[in-house]
Amino acid sequence: MDAVFTKCERCGQPIYEKDLGARFNVCPHCEFHYPLSAPARLRLLLDRGSFEERDSGLLAGDPLGFDGYEERLKKARRRTGLDDAVVSGVGDLGGRRVAIAVMDFRFIGGSMGSVVGEKVARTIEHAYAEELPLLIVSASGGARMFEGVYSLMQLAKTSVALSRYVEGSWPYISVLTDPTFGGVTASFATAADVVIAEPGARIGFAGARVIEQTTRERLPEGFQTAEFQRDHGMVDRIVHRLALRGDIERLLGFVA
Amino acid sequence: MILEFERPIKELEERISGLHRLAGGSEGLQVEISRLEEALDAAKRRVYSNLSPYQRVQVARHPDRPNFRAYRDALTEDFYELSGDRLFGEDAAVRGGFARLKPELGGHPIVLIGHDKGADVKARVAGNFGMAHPEGYRKVGRFYELAVRFGLPIVLLVDTPGAFAGRQAEERGQAWAISADLMALSRAPVPVVSFVIGEGGSGGALAMCLADYVGMLENSYLSVIAPESCASIIFRDPGRAAEAAEALKLTARDLKDHGIVDEVLPEPLGGAHNEPEDAIDTVGDALGRVVSGLSEADPETLVAARHDRYRRIGERAMQDGTA
Repeated sequence: MDAVFTKCERCGQPIYEKDLGARFNVCPHCEFHYPLSAPARLRLLLDRGSFEERDSGLLAGDPLGFDGYEERLKKARRRTGLDDAVVSGVGDLGGRRVAIAVMDFRFIGGSMGSVVGEKVARTIEHAYAEELPLLIVSASGGARMFEGVYSLMQLAKTSVALSRYVEGSWPYISVLTDPTFGGVTASFATAADVVIAEPGARIGFAGARVIEQTTRERLPEGFQTAEFQRDHGMVDRIVHRLALRGDIERLLGFVA
Repeated sequence: MILEFERPIKELEERISGLHRLAGGSEGLQVEISRLEEALDAAKRRVYSNLSPYQRVQVARHPDRPNFRAYRDALTEDFYELSGDRLFGEDAAVRGGFARLKPELGGHPIVLIGHDKGADVKARVAGNFGMAHPEGYRKVGRFYELAVRFGLPIVLLVDTPGAFAGRQAEERGQAWAISADLMALSRAPVPVVSFVIGEGGSGGALAMCLADYVGMLENSYLSVIAPESCASIIFRDPGRAAEAAEALKLTARDLKDHGIVDEVLPEPLGGAHNEPEDAIDTVGDALGRVVSGLSEADPETLVAARHDRYRRIGERAMQDGTA
């Protein structure tokens, strides 16, 4: 019997890890949304057994020979069992086929390097070629510094791919989860037809700590949360993780 | 302002001008003056042909470096400035409007947009040191639309430390504003020509250099993050910025070698701030040549080529484990 329990970082209540897993890392007491791995997210969103992974096996090189990057990559691959910070492919959501890419924050902070950019671009291209709705779930600290300007160019790469997709009439739905920042928000994650965010997710371009250090401003309570972004007109809807699949299914009913 | 590594050069220059004053009209000190001038030339060569990446970043940030206004005045005529994003406000960090290249550069009408760092303290503050707010990116997006509507080439002069880390920039959605500009450039069926004339900081720069041609002045830089910030994140020590600048491969030469930009534009010995006219002429020659070359291109071919360029960029940064 698996009786390991942990304490909720937010409300302090004890939670059985089994219960937390069954609720896709949402606290049963206070509904706090913990980060969710890409494989678990795919289970949450897609019809059982429908996911077909695409473009696996792409591995980051070390284009700049950046000291320490190789080791970080090896460690992240070992720890997560993933090739990089995104898992992508096609699958069914409520019986409707979609192209999907899901980011995983555990892999070097979900940072976007060449592999993340390439897999996101290819997912967009699969959606375009096969006339499918596009769903991208983001979780990212921003650009992957170890790849220098190559990581910056991923903003351009994903944007050109997306600019072709949006000429068609298939929907692009972006889901922002905790945390989504930097190069990912400044490119594909915000350029969607509909932007959904999870409750409490921190979303922005520059992080709060950097802003405080740069401007010495005191930031308001709830700064850069999903709710803050919705109130500032940047996010369409805030949807509880356990209601997300149903919510997207409803949306696809209108636009797909 | 004198950069630390320029000090030996400045000292020689001062000694030479001192001797010129002493010598007056006489020829007595000519030998000594010639000797020092030779030494000066050698010192310039020594210092400027061996700049480290971080020294180049400092040259790129030099307050006397020719800025947007200098290029605008020297290379175009009849600049017809436009303002505002039609949503929130005006942002002096970026300027733009219609302009005509000088006749000797081909005389093409263009939409000219550039970061304006300003020439004095007041203008620098007004322009937030070239760091745009969301209304700046949205203003630029408006100008992209105007260029498309009237079939004019877009000419971009990039000189920004980067996006602004500030409360209001976040409240007004700077990430959304940047991604909209990237999408607009991705599909604009007109030539897009971009020059990095100084600093090319992160997403703020990229919103103005997703282009058919990107030229970089020799001592400009383009980077995903400022070297100081990179050092404090990766090395947990902002003092190691020189090391970070080295690792990031952010110089014009590095970026050309990595196939990210098209051309490195040589600067005069001593950097653009020492001979501004030379640097401006070099950019002008490239500008005239590139705009003339692209002005006859078929719009759809341009967009397709731009798509392929960025779609393929950095292919060598990956290994295909399945191949």
